[in-house]
Amino acid sequence: MSARNRARSFLSIVYLNGILPMRAQPLYLLNTIASPLAFLFFIDVASRGALSSFAITGGLILTILTTGTGIQADLVHYKQDLKFQDVVVASPVEAPIYVAGMAFSEFVYSIPGLAVFLLLSVGVLDYTVVGTLTLAGALVLIWGFSTAFGFTLATYFSDIREAFVFAPLISILMTTLPPVYYPITYIPASIRWAAYLSPTTYAADLVHRGLCAAGSACYEAPSAAATAVDWGVLTGLTVVLIVLAATKARWREP
Amino acid sequence: MATAVSAQHLSKTYTYRGGSTQALDDVSFDIPAGETYGLIGRNGAGKTTFLRITGTLLLPSSGTATVLGYDIRTEEREIRRRIAMVPQESRPLYFATTEQLIDGYLRMRGMDGTEARRRRNDVIDELGLADVRRRLVSRLSGGQRRRVMVAMVLASDAELLFLDEPTTGLDPLARREVWSAIQRATRERRTVLLTTHYLDEAEALSSRLALLEGGHLRIEGTPDSIRARVQLPYRVTLDSSWSVDELTSFGPVTSVVGGHLLFTREKEAREIVQSALARGSRVALAPVSLEDIFLQLVGRPLDEGEVTEKPEEPE
Repeated sequence: MSARNRARSFLSIVYLNGILPMRAQPLYLLNTIASPLAFLFFIDVASRGALSSFAITGGLILTILTTGTGIQADLVHYKQDLKFQDVVVASPVEAPIYVAGMAFSEFVYSIPGLAVFLLLSVGVLDYTVVGTLTLAGALVLIWGFSTAFGFTLATYFSDIREAFVFAPLISILMTTLPPVYYPITYIPASIRWAAYLSPTTYAADLVHRGLCAAGSACYEAPSAAATAVDWGVLTGLTVVLIVLAATKARWREP
Repeated sequence: MATAVSAQHLSKTYTYRGGSTQALDDVSFDIPAGETYGLIGRNGAGKTTFLRITGTLLLPSSGTATVLGYDIRTEEREIRRRIAMVPQESRPLYFATTEQLIDGYLRMRGMDGTEARRRRNDVIDELGLADVRRRLVSRLSGGQRRRVMVAMVLASDAELLFLDEPTTGLDPLARREVWSAIQRATRERRTVLLTTHYLDEAEALSSRLALLEGGHLRIEGTPDSIRARVQLPYRVTLDSSWSVDELTSFGPVTSVVGGHLLFTREKEAREIVQSALARGSRVALAPVSLEDIFLQLVGRPLDEGEVTEKPEEPE
């Protein structure tokens, strides 16, 4: 496939899976924003505004993570129920183009959520340029690993109900329990290691240090070594999951 | 004659918790290019497995095949550039209209907008979808949705089309429209590999046929050559004034509603027809249909249950 044909292919998948459903059923857009906004409201009220900045950055992380992992439900539905993936496999469309098209069409759904939280970030948070770049970089990496993870999982599911079981579980394990919506110092030091089993903790660490560097919501002294470890783990995990998705996922059944 | 698909000793075993099922067992045959090839057999006979292997969706357990000259194991990308498939029980994406879906599929394959629109309009007219071209697919009937799926691949520029039971669920008129579109595809020198359990469909569309039963290839050839292989090439339908005992000396007899069905040779067919005319009983004589051949070779009709249960997806 030439580069132009790949671009056509990609845009067509985004159009079919993202734009058309969004136009036909705009409520999908609200669906992606409901949980992050509910968390924001709850944390803001419960902390009397003290953790609002964490709730806003947590909302961004949750929105982008849901965008990535949400791909699994669509992929399973398209593969098992509609057999659309079979139509795609038996065509010139390559697996990376299909996954990228599906991932970007999921991204379309998250645009209102991201817009709301970005506006809140601009209005409420103090962020330096480095902090803003850190936030953007962390969100891109979360999107990358969660999409790759969602795709790999989806190829092993034989029923959409499995995806329905995993999606909320992933959300809880990666955003609700880990210190995404709250500072890591709230977790007792003896069990803090458990938080680092979730990749979102590394992203949240980076984002929270950005807040600290700008002089707001500082709960832990910034450390260059910890920042390097966070970037390293997050980038490494993203690369590993993308490679795993590209090599191990079942595009053709064994 | 060029070969579109060449299968050599293809076997496929699905393994799952607690056992395994042999879906294809040492199947070898060639499918000529530029023709419609019918793959017939009951549910679970191995038709879809064969289609999925040659359509690069599934790897065989052993054996190999070439599709349009390319190896299915190592050159799947070359194959995929040249094929299009309507999988069994596939359904279109619900949020698109008929036009958007066909157009989207063609562009997804890399076709430019002008060509995609031209081909889309042609196929919509040909498959009788003009009235629903701007209707959401979710609001179409089951038969119309099926036709949209077929329209998508027929509108493509693929050299080889895989159609897995494309007319299941269609009314007779819609089936004829799909047949006509398939015939047009072969007039364009494209190859169509069609699986069906409608023998009239296989006979009407296919220049060659293969019958799979329990994962084995039972018969392969042109409809005429298959007929020629049958030992009892005539079917005689008699009314109920005859008893089964009177007929068994002519050949195997099956009692049907209102009379009997007898398969026999030419000499015996003449005799029984003359006797029937002399008795003034109703009689009809015809060459055996593919359905009859299937009955003779396999021992039960094509629509009588599945050969064996197989898991949907292998583990």
